[in-house]
Amino acid sequence: MEFTLLFAAAIAYVTGAIALRWEAARGNAADCARDLGEILLTAAVVGVAVGRLTAMIGSGVNPLTSPLDVLIVRGGVATGPAALAAMATVAFAARDDLIVVADALAVATLAALGGWQLGCLPREACLGSPTDLPWAMTQPGSTVGRHPVELYAAAIYLVAAAGLAVLRKRRPAPGLPAATALFVAAAGRLVTEPLRPSLGGGPIWWYMTGVAVGVGAAAWARRHRPVSPPLAAPP
Amino acid sequence: MKLRIALVALLVGATACAGDGDTSSIADLPEVATSDIVATIRESGKPAVVNVWASWCGPCRSEAPLLAAASTEYRDTVEFIGLNVRDSQADAKGFIADFFSGAHIQHVADGDGSVVTDLGGTTGVPLTFFVNADATVAKIHFGVIDERTLALEVDELVRASGA
Repeated sequence: MEFTLLFAAAIAYVTGAIALRWEAARGNAADCARDLGEILLTAAVVGVAVGRLTAMIGSGVNPLTSPLDVLIVRGGVATGPAALAAMATVAFAARDDLIVVADALAVATLAALGGWQLGCLPREACLGSPTDLPWAMTQPGSTVGRHPVELYAAAIYLVAAAGLAVLRKRRPAPGLPAATALFVAAAGRLVTEPLRPSLGGGPIWWYMTGVAVGVGAAAWARRHRPVSPPLAAPP
Repeated sequence: MKLRIALVALLVGATACAGDGDTSSIADLPEVATSDIVATIRESGKPAVVNVWASWCGPCRSEAPLLAAASTEYRDTVEFIGLNVRDSQADAKGFIADFFSGAHIQHVADGDGSVVTDLGGTTGVPLTFFVNADATVAKIHFGVIDERTLALEVDELVRASGA
């Protein structure tokens, strides 16, 4: 039995936790880094569980008669339902202050996604479509050079996380960091998906939906930016 | 309360759709020897994916739909063989009806698991052999196989075979 996915998940958790602590130290999520970490972890676990259950039902496995099959994550996780469930978990956990919490989680979420993609390195699984580029990677026993597509995605997410951290210091409109993170998370998968080995091309429509919702949410956030009170006239 | 009832009804409704296929149209799985598998692959002239499964194997349920989908997508370039081990005919046919319905997979039986060990495998299931067109084993994947690994290994097989 392989547990390399669990190792990749641990890298994602550590990367996200580091991002939260780094942001807390810079004053962006002061005094609540631990709570935010718990929300992020809970959302990830709920998302994977719902995605796995959906995949099981979709492939004809009855979760009531085979409940332990939900643990066989390698058997497939439905991406769209998993993402929706994770976002719903965040929305429920932060129902009193959703936009503030979503913004505070934005950088850490992208960092965690980057960490998850970096998890291909210890798994020796940074392997996409064939290429002759000098940085192509080959799997043991093969002569076929392949795009390290997971590393491309990790670079996108980690650079975006750093950029978003800088943006947050400039006090953007409430909701804009969360919308940007959603856009980058979906767009990062959308642009790298053609390079990934898959059956049927992957859940492209879910990624396109994520991109569209991210753009729409960002536009909404900019239009509804709170107006700063006017400066008092000098006496 | 209404939300909880609706969620339970949704879950029960969804799970009611799963499994319980009809086995009447499925023929008995022929018992094979290693030489039969080798001959089948050589005669096809294509590389092959030989998946070892059993109806009593929980993880096999998880990967069966993936293999079924792959067998349809790669039906022109790769031969898919299902090697059922240490199982009864009735249970094996029930599993095929439930999880391999519509797949382009040739299922055979290896009652004592000797074919698997001859090919270099172990007694654990599931197990997937990636076999070149000349019937030499290119790679063995132990445990549940995921979509990405299956697509990658099939691509490696097809390229190695020049198909």
